[in-house]
Amino acid sequence: MLKHILVTDSTLRDGNHAVAHQLSAHQIAIYAEAADKAGVPIVEVGHGNGLGASSMQVGLALEDDVTMLETARKHLTKSKLGIHVIPGFATIKRDLIRALDIGVDVVRVASHCTEADITQRHLGFVRERGKEAYGVLMMSHMASAAVLLEEAQKMELYGAEGIIIMDSAGAYLPSDVEEKISTLVNGLKVPVGFHAHNNLGLAIANSMTAIASGAKLLDATARGFGAGAGNAQIEVLVAVLEKTGYITGIDFYGILDASDLAEKDVMPLVPTIKSESIVSGLSGVFSGFAKHVTRISKEYGVDQRDVYRELGKRKVVGGQEDLIIEVVMDLVKNRK
Amino acid sequence: MMKKLRVAILGSGNIGTDLLIKIQRSEFLECVLFIGRNLSSPGMAKAIALGVKVSDESIHAIEKDPDAVDLVFDATSAKDAAHHWAILDKLGKIVVDMTPAKLGGLCIPAVNLDEAVKQRNVNMITCGGQASIPMAYVIGKTQKDVKYIEVVSSIASRSAGPATRLNLDEYVDTTEMGLSIFSNVKKTKAILNLNPADPCIDMQTTIFAQVENPDMEALKKEVDIMIESIRDYVPGYSLLVSPIYENGRIVIMVKAQGLGDYLPKYAGNLDIINCAAIAVAEQYSKVENQIN
Amino acid sequence: MTEAIRHLITEDCRKSCKDTAAFNVLKDDVILVTGGTGFMGKWIAEMISYLNETENLNIKLYLLARDTKKFEDEVPHLAQKEFIKLISHDVRNLYDVPKEVNYIIHAAGTPDNRDHVSQPLKTLETFYKGTTNILDAATRLPSLKKILHLSSHTVYGKNNDESFINENYLGSLEVNNVNHVYGESKMVAETICAIYRNQFKLPITVLRPFAFIGPYHDLDKPWAINNFIRDGILGGPIRILGNGETIRSYLYASDMAVWILKTLVSGQPGDVYNIGSKVAVSLNELAQKIGASINPAIEILSKSSKENYTNISRFVPETKKIVNALGLEETHTIDDAISRTIVWNQLNKK
Repeated sequence: MLKHILVTDSTLRDGNHAVAHQLSAHQIAIYAEAADKAGVPIVEVGHGNGLGASSMQVGLALEDDVTMLETARKHLTKSKLGIHVIPGFATIKRDLIRALDIGVDVVRVASHCTEADITQRHLGFVRERGKEAYGVLMMSHMASAAVLLEEAQKMELYGAEGIIIMDSAGAYLPSDVEEKISTLVNGLKVPVGFHAHNNLGLAIANSMTAIASGAKLLDATARGFGAGAGNAQIEVLVAVLEKTGYITGIDFYGILDASDLAEKDVMPLVPTIKSESIVSGLSGVFSGFAKHVTRISKEYGVDQRDVYRELGKRKVVGGQEDLIIEVVMDLVKNRK
Repeated sequence: MMKKLRVAILGSGNIGTDLLIKIQRSEFLECVLFIGRNLSSPGMAKAIALGVKVSDESIHAIEKDPDAVDLVFDATSAKDAAHHWAILDKLGKIVVDMTPAKLGGLCIPAVNLDEAVKQRNVNMITCGGQASIPMAYVIGKTQKDVKYIEVVSSIASRSAGPATRLNLDEYVDTTEMGLSIFSNVKKTKAILNLNPADPCIDMQTTIFAQVENPDMEALKKEVDIMIESIRDYVPGYSLLVSPIYENGRIVIMVKAQGLGDYLPKYAGNLDIINCAAIAVAEQYSKVENQIN
Repeated sequence: MTEAIRHLITEDCRKSCKDTAAFNVLKDDVILVTGGTGFMGKWIAEMISYLNETENLNIKLYLLARDTKKFEDEVPHLAQKEFIKLISHDVRNLYDVPKEVNYIIHAAGTPDNRDHVSQPLKTLETFYKGTTNILDAATRLPSLKKILHLSSHTVYGKNNDESFINENYLGSLEVNNVNHVYGESKMVAETICAIYRNQFKLPITVLRPFAFIGPYHDLDKPWAINNFIRDGILGGPIRILGNGETIRSYLYASDMAVWILKTLVSGQPGDVYNIGSKVAVSLNELAQKIGASINPAIEILSKSSKENYTNISRFVPETKKIVNALGLEETHTIDDAISRTIVWNQLNKK
C-alpha cells in the first residue's frame, strides 16, 4: 500500500529565524528554483514569525512580505507557495488579502497551542477564497494531548484541512510525539502533521515517530536551516522516508542539490546544536528567541543559559521576545 | 453643591459591570441606569444588589426617558455603538465609547482630556492603546525624527474573551491608528499576544521606537511625568523597564495591574481602559460644575 | 430578487407541497418562529407565503431573531410581505410573546459548529435559557394550539453501527470535551420540552433534524455538502476532509419546510420524529455528483487523517415513523437537490 507523506519545506521561512530574518530576494529566488526543480510539494516563504511579523519585537526583515512572496512566486512552477500566518501579527485587510492576490496557494494559520479560537476568522477567510488552509498549534509541548485535540478540533471546524503541531522549542522526546500525534490522528478527520526542532538531537527520530503514529504531514528544511538548533534536515528525512517505504514525490538527488546550494549560498553557517540550544530545549523555550537571547545577554553580561531557565520558568510563549529584556535586567539586578 | 453627572451604562458584561463599581466610588458621577440585554446576567445581579436601576431594553431604555441621563458609556460592540450613537446624538447625549467604533474623537486622558471633552462622542481606543499611546506621545514629543513606533501587549489568556479573540484585526487597526495620531509618526505597528500561563500574567506592554539620535535624558524626564499623570487615574500603571536605547531602538516597558474591582487584578487590560473612561466622564462632570 | 430565483423557489414549493388542503386548518392563524431569520425560518416563510397565495389562508407569521436587519437585507421580498412581522430579540432573555400566537416553531440557536466551539457557554445558554424562556412564555398564551421544537440528530451521540437511526436510539456524548457542547445542549433542550409537556401540560412535538440542502444555505457553513458546492463553484478542487466513505443523507429544503409544517399541524404532544432523507450517500459520491453537476473536469481531492478507518461515520435517519404517521414523502432526489442548489447559488452570486 503506497504511503504518501506531504513534506513542507520551510527553509525560506523557519530559516529566516536563523539569520535574524535577513534572507535576501536573491537567496529566496535561487533556493525556490532548486526546491521547485526537486519537486518539493510546498515551499514556505516569509519572515520567521510569518506574514506581517516584521517588527522590532521579533526582528525586522531585510525584504518586505510583498518582495519575498513575489520573488518566490516567480520561481515556483510546480511547487505550491505557502505562508505562515499568526493572528495578532497579521491582519486580513492589511496582509492576507494581498498575499492571496500575489498567488499564495497554501496558508498555515498558527496560534499558541491553547488559543486556537483566534484563528477562526483567518482560516474562514482563506477557505472563502478557495485556498488551502491548515491549522498550526505552536509550542505544543505546553499542552496535554487532550487539550491539543480539543484545540485542533476547533481549527478543523474553522476550515483547516490539516493540523500541524509544532515542537517549537525542540523539547519533545519520541514518547511525547507518539502520545500526542496518535491522539490527534484518532480524534481528527483531517491529516495530522509534525514540525520538529533539533535542540535535543531528535528532529529526524521525532519526525519518523510521528509518521509511525499516523501523521501524514512533515516539515523540514535544507540542512535543518531554522530557528535555534534548526529543524529536521529535509534531505536526510527524504532519504529515511524512502528507505522505509514512503513516497514524498521529492527527487532525491534534486533535494541533495538544493541543500548543497542552500549550504553554499543561503545560510552563513550550517546549524549545529550549541550549548544554549540544549538548555533552551530542556527549558521549553521558543526556538525563535535564540538570537535575541544571545544578543541581549551579551550586552548586559549575563549567562544566557540562566536566561533560558528563567524564561522557561515563566512559561513565555512565542511573540513575547520583549520579556527577554526584562528577564536579563532582573538577573543583572539580582547579581548585585 | 456639586451636582453629580447622571450616567447610564449600555452593556452589562465585564466592562460595563466594572465601570458600574468604579462609578460607585466617584464623587462626580452617579449611575442612574444599568442596561443590558439579559436581566439574569451576573452584571445585572450586581447592579440590583447595589440598588441601581436596571433595564434589559437596550437603547430603548434611554429613549423612553432621555432627560434622566446626561452621559452614556457604550460597552456593547462597534456595530451596536454606531446604531446607538445615531439615536443618542439626536437626543443630545454625551457618549464615552468603549468599543473600536471610532465615531468620535480618540482620547488618552493624560494627553488630551481637555480637548476631548469639547466633543460629545469620545472614543477610548483599545486597552493596549491606553497603555502604550501615552508613551508613544512622549516619544513623539521629545525625540527628533521618529521613523517608526511599535507596540506589543501581552495579556493573560483568561482576560481575553470571545469578543477580543474574534476581533484581533480590529484591535490592531484601532491601536495603530491611535498610535499614529498621538505620536505624529506615520508608520506604526501593534501586536497582541495572549499568554495562558498560570498564575495569570498582568498586562504588559512594550513600546519600541526607531530613532537615530535619541535624547534619553529628555525622554526619561517626560516619561516619569507621564507615568505620574496616568497613575492619577490608573493607580496600577507602572514602569517595568526604564527607557533604554538598545539596538537602534528606544524600548519602554509598562505594566498595568488592575484594581480588582470586578475582575481579578491580572485583568489590567480591562482596568486601564475603564479607568481612562471614568476620568473622561468625571472631566465632563467637572466642566459642567465649572471646577478647575 | 430576480424572476428566475423567485420562480425556482415557487416551483420547489409547488413540487413539495402536493396536498395544500392539509394546511387549511391553519387559516387565519398566527405562527411564531424563533430563530426565524435562519435557513429554516426563510423556508418556512417561503412555504407560508406559497400557501397564503395559493390557498388564501391569511396565515400571519412572526419571525423572532437577534438580528432581523440581516433578514431584511438578505430576503427583502419576504421582509416586505404584509403577513410577516419581524421581532428583534434574543431568546436568552425573552419573557413574553404576542398574545395572538397560536403556533410556535422553536428553531432558535445557530447550528454553526464554529460558534459552538468558540463560544461554548453562549451555545449552552441559548438552548437552555432560550428553550426555558419560550416555553415559559407559551404557558401564558390564551390560544396556543401547538409547539414544535426543532432538536437535532446530535442528541443521538455517536452512532455505533446503526444503518438507519430510529427515534429510540440512545447514543452517548463525551461530556468532558467542550466540542460536544452542542449535542449536550440539544439534549438538555429536549429534557426541558419533556418537563414543560408533562409538568405544565404544553402541547409539544419534537423534530430531530438530520441534514438539509437547498437555497438560502450559507455555503461558508462548515458542512461537507456546503463546502463541496462552494469549492465547486469557485472552480475546484473539491476537498473531501476526513474519510470519504462517511455516510450522510440530505433532505431538500422545500421538503423540509413541508415536513415541518405538517408536523406542526398534525403531530401529537410527546411525539418525537426524525426529519431528514433516508437516501444514504457517501462524501465521495457527493463530491462526484457536485463536481459532475458543475463541470466534469473539476478535481476532487481527499484529505484524511488515516489510511484505514476501522469504523465509518454514518448518520442516516430511519424516517418510517414520520412518513407513515403524517403522510409525507421526499419529492426531490439528491441529484435534483444538488443541481437546484447549485443553480440558485450561481443565480444568487453577489
